[in-house]
Amino acid sequence: MVNLPVFADENYVGMVKTYQPPAAVIHNSVEAAINIGTKLYLGDIVVTKADAAVGIIFMDGSVLSLGPETHFEIVDFLFKPAERNVSFISKVSQGTVAFTSGAIGRISPESVKFITPTSTLGLHGTKVLIEVK
Amino acid sequence: MKRSTVFFAMFGFMLAGCSGTTVVLVPDASGKVGKVSVKTKAGEQLLSQAGASTFAGKADKLPTQVEVFDNTKIQDMFGTALANEPAPPLHYTLLFPSGSAELPSDATAQLKTVYQSIQTRNSCDTSVIGHSDRTGDNNTNKGISLQRAESVANVLKMAGLKGDCLDVRYYGENDPAVPTADEVAEPRNRRVEIEVR
Repeated sequence: MVNLPVFADENYVGMVKTYQPPAAVIHNSVEAAINIGTKLYLGDIVVTKADAAVGIIFMDGSVLSLGPETHFEIVDFLFKPAERNVSFISKVSQGTVAFTSGAIGRISPESVKFITPTSTLGLHGTKVLIEVK
Repeated sequence: MKRSTVFFAMFGFMLAGCSGTTVVLVPDASGKVGKVSVKTKAGEQLLSQAGASTFAGKADKLPTQVEVFDNTKIQDMFGTALANEPAPPLHYTLLFPSGSAELPSDATAQLKTVYQSIQTRNSCDTSVIGHSDRTGDNNTNKGISLQRAESVANVLKMAGLKGDCLDVRYYGENDPAVPTADEVAEPRNRRVEIEVR
């Protein structure tokens, strides 16, 4: 019998669109391979190695790319525009990130945040670059 | 430890630069520059100009004064991430007649364009979202907005798009393109939005 995943597939929050190996995703504490088309879920951590990069588009249309030796976590992603119930919080512990905000930022600019070891970024549109050393 | 080893260790540390967070605000694909606040426990720095940057070295220290980075510096720091940015998602809107989920006459041509862009991007990641205006009660409007989304989704599926590549949603009158008072007929809100990611 096939083990079905415990999460419903429509719950994915983003999808990998560009990939320059090597990188991996940590999902429910299990490390898995990344490829173009890999779906990402709330709580997932994406880790890139030297020379690697991963580009992601989220369900709200925001566009993110990670440079080499980056550690990125999807802390919160809530996208229910009809109820004005939105939130997008990410954590960058190391590396480089380019981010362009999407519908969540348009609906509620104060709901897009990045957490780094020293600071919290509040993004009021639209494109930002982050380096954590 | 030999003195030279200590020297090289220190030199290496200096070369690696200080640990901390650098934030740079840049124009988006449309040229728009937004704003970003960088906050530590000691205070906050606001970036609001293209290329503006600040550095938060420690959680209990203020972020530095704003310094404007040029393109060379930005490419030097973020070149790999920027070279691997996905193409921004594509957006399409189809407008509908009042109270109806029947596809407008120009929909076929528009949906052909949508289908082609999905093929070109080799994408399995498209949202189809139905909306209504505020004429009538919201329950009826939710139903109409769902039917509108399904009409559009069906055309894309008939063209050959797999159902599991489609995310079909409906919001009734709750997410208007143009906010109005209740019972106002607003053609721009009777729509289906398509996002190809």
